[in-house]
Amino acid sequence: MLLGRNSRSGVSLVTLGIPLTLVGLLIATTAHYFLSWENLTNLSGQMTALLIVSFGQLLVALVAGLDLSVGSVMSLATCVVASDSPLWITIPIALAIGIVVGLVNGSGVALLGIHPIIMTLSTMTFLQGAAYLLRAVPGGHVPDMLASSARGSFLGVPDSLLWSVICALVLAWLLYRSRFGLHLFATGGNPVSARLNGVNAVRVCISAYVLCSVFAVLAGLFLSARIASGDPAAGQSFGLDSVTAIALGGTQLSGGVGGVIGAITGTIALGLASNGMNLLNVSPFLQSAAKGLLLIFAICAQRRSTVGL
Amino acid sequence: MTLEAGASRPAAPPLRRALTTALNLPPAVYGTVLLLLAALILRPVLLGPIFFLAIVGQAAPLGMVALGQSLVMRCRSIDLSIAGVFVVSDFIVTSGYFSSWPGAALIGLCLLFGATVGAINGVLITRVRASAVIVTLGMSIVLVGVVVAFSNYSQPGEVPAFLRVIGSGDVHGVPISLLIWFAIAIPTGLGLGRSVYGSYLSAVGANPQAAALSGIPYLRIVFIAHVVSAVFATIGGLLLAGFVGLGSTTLGQDLVLNSIAAVILGGINFGGGAGGTFGPMAGAFMLTFLFNFLNSFGLGEPAKYMMQGGIIAVAAWIYALGKR
Repeated sequence: MLLGRNSRSGVSLVTLGIPLTLVGLLIATTAHYFLSWENLTNLSGQMTALLIVSFGQLLVALVAGLDLSVGSVMSLATCVVASDSPLWITIPIALAIGIVVGLVNGSGVALLGIHPIIMTLSTMTFLQGAAYLLRAVPGGHVPDMLASSARGSFLGVPDSLLWSVICALVLAWLLYRSRFGLHLFATGGNPVSARLNGVNAVRVCISAYVLCSVFAVLAGLFLSARIASGDPAAGQSFGLDSVTAIALGGTQLSGGVGGVIGAITGTIALGLASNGMNLLNVSPFLQSAAKGLLLIFAICAQRRSTVGL
Repeated sequence: MTLEAGASRPAAPPLRRALTTALNLPPAVYGTVLLLLAALILRPVLLGPIFFLAIVGQAAPLGMVALGQSLVMRCRSIDLSIAGVFVVSDFIVTSGYFSSWPGAALIGLCLLFGATVGAINGVLITRVRASAVIVTLGMSIVLVGVVVAFSNYSQPGEVPAFLRVIGSGDVHGVPISLLIWFAIAIPTGLGLGRSVYGSYLSAVGANPQAAALSGIPYLRIVFIAHVVSAVFATIGGLLLAGFVGLGSTTLGQDLVLNSIAAVILGGINFGGGAGGTFGPMAGAFMLTFLFNFLNSFGLGEPAKYMMQGGIIAVAAWIYALGKR
């Protein structure tokens, strides 16, 4: 039951069709440049950060939540890593921050019953302030070991692609081969039924938020390697972009439906749209307007019966 | 001991009733009292009549936006398109395209535009049943992107004189923006308490399914709430533009989050609450006073952001605790 209307992966003709159409259009208009190694490597580098963040967002969306703080977590991670301390100190600190943020978000949503949007909006604002406190303007120096891990290539494959593939494999194992994944789909699909069957919804929910923040930290580490500095505003657009990506990929924001393939196709669709607009020299502000329209379209395409939030 | 039909419990002693009322006050009231006490000790100059009234006048844009947001949050929706509405009305009054229009026509155009945005939000949320967060956020991004792309090729213009007077002028020391805010908020509050729409709004928020099954025009209520919210946001944007005096494409970006904080501090959460209209007003004032207070200590942007985030979280937590 991988495909089909009632599948839990959310994949459908629309989710597969959009990226394929975009690829087709781009190849048709800029054939020789688009398929060049240089452009493909560039594309892969641009999309990897969004892909990793979308993986985290997928986990939270599967339990009917939303994590808008991922952008600030990414920015904070870049600022932490670009400080003057060595990597073996800064990376564990960044990961610890991610875990703490995830615990705070998860506890607020699952234990206190605060709405995910309110909770993650407040964490997002708080962490954005913390990022500005740590580093007021972009700068700093990312240690070479991290910076080079995202730029070069390994055995002919671009490093960014390696990052993406490894994260995708980890996520696929989490979702489809572990008990946690099973509990995740169960809690999202029907919370009451899951609870009656012995699934601890609170623990699943908090774990989802923690993993989401950890993925966001990983994406932040990749981003810091790519921009080779710390930037307190680097992750600002990634919060909404990740939601757009998974929504385009068929994930239902009401929980229970979604998959790795969907997250990947959604990210590719968004990345191709941006790349295409760049090639067409569209103003960056109109680009963000276009992404906003894409977001609205992706959301309107999801069927639901609730009105409002 | 069972109660017979028609029997009623004896009234609670007056002290108990007073205590219960006090505990049910919105968090904004406590916060304001604490802040005023702190200001009295640490920065008494803020409590002088001129400063104080000026701060209340400064809270007017946030107050208008919070008013609209409270309506929308009462029916379990949210309006995050405020930044977009602000930027568009700012563009309409400051760009050179409409400079030949009379003042009333400019304001009318802004209000009409605001109502249109609210109507589009309403349709997408009630008919297409899209998620309110995403739709309104997407709408905001589209509006800001389009306006910034257009205005990138021209200098920021000046806000027309009459608007500047409304935004930053005063009558015998009382800011005009304060008067406008109260003139809209007080009738709204009284009207909601006494009108059919107000009762329907509470019903829809408390239990949407039951309201729909009872024949209440559920979708129309939500739609109207969104239109009103967008119109109130436009008014708030015009007040803020008048206060700032110069065109800006980043006007009101942080007002969205502050409006949610003000509403939650005012005791209203998704689906209803006892805050009424007074709660969000108190919340708006409290936040504005807090930021002025922090500014007086020289705390910069980072501290402001961290406070904003902390306040929203704590306010939501208090509300969640109170609900149990």
